[in-house]
Amino acid sequence: MTLLVPLFMIGIFSIQYFVQSMSGEQRSDLIIISDSDEILNKVQNEIFQTSAFKSGDLTTRTEKTELSEFTSKLNKIKPDIIAQRITGVVFIPSTSLQSKGVEYYSSNPNNSSLFYKIKPSINKALVEIYFAGRLLTEDEIKFARKDVEINGFRISSDEKVAEEGYGNRIAMVLFSFLLYMALIFSGSMTMNAVVEEKSNKIVEVLLSSASSTELMAGKILGTVIVEVIQMAIWLSPIVLLISTSWFFIPPEFMPQLSFGFILYFLFNYSLALITYVALYATVGAIFDNPQDAQSGVWPLLMLIMIPFFIALGMEANAQSSLAQIASLFPFSSLIVMPARMILVEVPLWQILLSCAINIVVLLGIFKLAGKIYRIGILLTGKKPKWSEVFGWLKMSS
Amino acid sequence: MNVLEVKNLTKRFNGITAVDNASFTVSEGSVFGLIGRNGAGKTTTIRMMLNIYFPDEGEVLFKGSKIEQDFKDVVGYLPEERGLYKKMKVIDMLLFLAELKGKKGSEVNKSALQYLERFDLADRKNSKVEDLSKGNQQKIQFISTVLHDPDFLIFDEPFSGLDPINTNLLKEIILEMKNKGKVVIFSTHLMEFAEKMCDSIAMIDKGKIILNGKLSEIKEKYASKNVSLNYKGSLAFLNNNPMVESIEDFGNTTGIKLKNENSDQELLKLLMANNISIKKFTVDEISLHEIFVLLAGREVSIV
Repeated sequence: MTLLVPLFMIGIFSIQYFVQSMSGEQRSDLIIISDSDEILNKVQNEIFQTSAFKSGDLTTRTEKTELSEFTSKLNKIKPDIIAQRITGVVFIPSTSLQSKGVEYYSSNPNNSSLFYKIKPSINKALVEIYFAGRLLTEDEIKFARKDVEINGFRISSDEKVAEEGYGNRIAMVLFSFLLYMALIFSGSMTMNAVVEEKSNKIVEVLLSSASSTELMAGKILGTVIVEVIQMAIWLSPIVLLISTSWFFIPPEFMPQLSFGFILYFLFNYSLALITYVALYATVGAIFDNPQDAQSGVWPLLMLIMIPFFIALGMEANAQSSLAQIASLFPFSSLIVMPARMILVEVPLWQILLSCAINIVVLLGIFKLAGKIYRIGILLTGKKPKWSEVFGWLKMSS
Repeated sequence: MNVLEVKNLTKRFNGITAVDNASFTVSEGSVFGLIGRNGAGKTTTIRMMLNIYFPDEGEVLFKGSKIEQDFKDVVGYLPEERGLYKKMKVIDMLLFLAELKGKKGSEVNKSALQYLERFDLADRKNSKVEDLSKGNQQKIQFISTVLHDPDFLIFDEPFSGLDPINTNLLKEIILEMKNKGKVVIFSTHLMEFAEKMCDSIAMIDKGKIILNGKLSEIKEKYASKNVSLNYKGSLAFLNNNPMVESIEDFGNTTGIKLKNENSDQELLKLLMANNISIKKFTVDEISLHEIFVLLAGREVSIV
């Protein structure tokens, strides 16, 4: 699993990239219609410069048509479009010089790969025509068209200034995703193991040797140890990256992570595992078949997914109120705080407070989970209602 | 010497009292039967003895002290609902369960192989449990119960679901353990098994212990003035007969309780005079089933 999962993830992304790039490679034959010769000539010239045209993936011809005659022109072309002799019609009226509004007529009007090929050419042509009469040089037009680039610089608590690249954002997404996947995977594995023991009827034999608390604790600790070791293996390339010069990546992609953060991440990961695996084991103890257990697990999925989406959303602003509260709130803190720590320098007291909250939650969950596990593990037959399950919590030990 | 004492055990589930103030003792080196019909509270009682359920009242004492982990290590338990890890290999399954009891190493390994050999499963030691037939899986379960050489063996409805071969096998194991001086406790609703194998019994009905003690003493007490009869014909003429206290038809046999223990010969003469074809006429004998019906009431179905 330790090797297969990263290979599988790389494979999935590679397949996705391959599929996306393949879906864009298709020859497109376009008719560009406008009521302005200037627009037609300019757009055509720009398209001739594109790699798509040069490689033969894109062919165009232009037709000048008055605005009032466009509809009848289109009606004549429709059969060719339907028969796919023509990919589509791009209509660039002269009014686009004010609105930049362009129309595309095709049996596949959502062809984003085609838009990717022709939009820059059309935009450039329209901008140049628009500014032509205003006596601006090409460089001035280029400057006006260019988007602003904001480079971030981190000021740390020791008043050092360091340029921030994309590395931390990539690391934040990667770590959050790893945490999310690992919690769901290990939780499901534990839950299925508990359900299997119930449905196999071996649990009573096990209980004649160990108490239900020992049984549950053993399962959780076993899972935690395996998963933490696995995570440490997965993180080892990052550790080597930040602590050695064995690998080289462009500075803008280099994550600014410390070894201390890696240790904190593993510690936090252990707490998250214990908490969520205990909850998943409890769900497994309530039900005696995998189908019912799957229906009962959705509250836990919400407890993992919502913080995960908050963590991803923190890319916009890691110091927002939502980010700060979520990084200290029970359950969500386990996923959100590590992500926040990658993007901003979180005060030490907040880190310690979140650890304390997580530990208190863990101890509480363990106790409640143990009670439900002890009662539920021997119950078979009718699927209990949630009200009954809550009633088990009120029973004495 | 009483090695296990159950004192005033009570367990309630959602307002229903499954076991109500149950008390009995188990002596060293004996076979003890906890007998009763389905739903009487046998399994609940056994689970409290093993600390699987915590009693609401009462306690279980092992050699005078409350049950702790040391008792669990010397118990071999075969529950009514049996199961094994399906994907595990047979030998791994056995060694795992033995290790849970604190036994591991070459001795246990050797013992496991001997048991597999004895039960004709030596060639299946590396097979997965799920690849075995149901009967063979049951054998694996028996082996796992005794492999760690426990001092106590507790079987909950051990004969339920067994084919005749495995039934004999289990009887052999129980008698073998008894001969080794182990304490064997089993629960059953099959009175004939209990009758043949137990030294002492406790009868449980609707959660309450209705009878408790040595089997021989119990039978002696209830057998007096009892005639056990196998016959053909009609016994209607005995209704309202002054020497007969009660007649109970158990299907295979009929139990006639006499008012006077000296009336057995008179009864025999009366039966013959009324042309009853007698297959068996036994005086001062009573089956456990008959005792149970007497104590628990007529609504018990004949087994």
